[in-house]
Amino acid sequence: MSQSERMIDIAGVHKTFVADHGTVTALEPVSITIKEGEFISIVGPSGCGKSTLLRLISGLDQASGGSIKLDVSGRKRPVGFVFQEPVLLPWKTIIDNVRFPLDTSGISRGQGDKTALDLIKMVGLAGFEKALPRQLSGGMRQRAAIARALSDDPPILLMDEPFSAVDLLTRDNLNDELLRIWQSTGKTILLVTHSVEEAAYLADRVMVMTARPGKLKCVHNVELLRPRGEETKLDPAYHALVAQLRRDLRTPAGEAH
Amino acid sequence: MILRGIAGLIATLVLWTAIVFIFQVPSYLLPGPMEVLNRLVFLFENAKLLRHIGVTLTEIVAGFVLGTVIGILAGVVFARLPRVERFATPLILLLQTAPKIAIAPLLLLWLGIGPTPKIVLIAIVTFFPVMSGMVTGLRYGEGSFRDLAAVLKLSPWQSFWHIELPSALPAVLAGMAVATTLAMTAAVIGELMGANEGIGYLLSSGQENSDTAVVIGMVLLLSMIGWAFYEIIELIRRRSLGRFQLS
Repeated sequence: MSQSERMIDIAGVHKTFVADHGTVTALEPVSITIKEGEFISIVGPSGCGKSTLLRLISGLDQASGGSIKLDVSGRKRPVGFVFQEPVLLPWKTIIDNVRFPLDTSGISRGQGDKTALDLIKMVGLAGFEKALPRQLSGGMRQRAAIARALSDDPPILLMDEPFSAVDLLTRDNLNDELLRIWQSTGKTILLVTHSVEEAAYLADRVMVMTARPGKLKCVHNVELLRPRGEETKLDPAYHALVAQLRRDLRTPAGEAH
Repeated sequence: MILRGIAGLIATLVLWTAIVFIFQVPSYLLPGPMEVLNRLVFLFENAKLLRHIGVTLTEIVAGFVLGTVIGILAGVVFARLPRVERFATPLILLLQTAPKIAIAPLLLLWLGIGPTPKIVLIAIVTFFPVMSGMVTGLRYGEGSFRDLAAVLKLSPWQSFWHIELPSALPAVLAGMAVATTLAMTAAVIGELMGANEGIGYLLSSGQENSDTAVVIGMVLLLSMIGWAFYEIIELIRRRSLGRFQLS
């Protein structure tokens, strides 16, 4: 099976909504093509439409115009979504939460358990299968949420500021885990963040977005070597990119280039 | 906690006995605890007290279950279809604001003197807090759960069964706990208005015969049943709370 060159094809997608005082542009037309297996970071200040773009790709919200094509050959659930909060069902154990997408698509319990156990092990939660979400730390809950998003094996994983609620050390850990998971599963990942360091460290390409109105300002290729780790954070090229991203975000939209 | 409660009860009984003894209160005004107990034993042996208790308990359980089920179903409909809620709200409020003691004779006229009008009255008073709890629980359910259901493309039934109902459960159980005391009152009102069996019936015959010991006995019996009823629902509520809330 050849890799899809156009896993996600976004053409002129924009979003406006009606507010009390008129129409508000949440997202000006965006066009980008994303390859299968690519890791894309989307970075920008609040109100830049980065979460909106993710919600449009997932189908949670409808675009006001333009088109989004996913090369997923008629799958019922083409995307897994990791929200800012874990959104685990508090009355279900970790394994029941991870298995939930499978339970609701008619997969047998036995097969679902097997998949869920593998994923729980992969995200580093082995031994916590029977725990309730409230017994876990914020970082552990988010790991469980990632396992759930992967459980019915969607080709695309959308992550909306998934680590913004955890402390910095946990965040570094989770970033490395995420890279490992990405490398072993070959998913196409779009991760929204407001951290330029996180965006540069993880991605193949970084989409920089600016606010009022929300628009895609530019896209950077990240040429840092894989696999990435502690050395990456010492690489001058990494720091140069982080600095560039900061400059991009500081310049008011429309003035650059 | 329990020990202090028991100590308090014993102290009350001692005080009660002392008042009756010291002031020589005539028993048609205030019989002592032993006399009340003796009368209860007499009713137990000669007037099928257990059967009367059974009748009242059956009415309460049947009415409570009926009101809870209808309350949950109505809550689902109202939360999903605000138009239906707006249409039904005046009627429901009218039913709720009408004093239950005024509705009871109407139900007796329509449904006779048996257990049915009591069950209906209990269901009416149970319905409202349960329905409110369900509507609140469903309506203010977290938006993020809705996103989860949308991403997983859950059917309306899956989303209801796996997400909405469990989310609403704490609010529904809080409504049920409130409903227990209302249900007790409704049962007694129904039986006082007209019955030939039940604790309320014994209560009103005690009144007619100026048998104060019977009246006090029945009041104590009702208190104990109501208390136990509330504690059972509260226990279920507290047990489930840990499981159904995140922190």
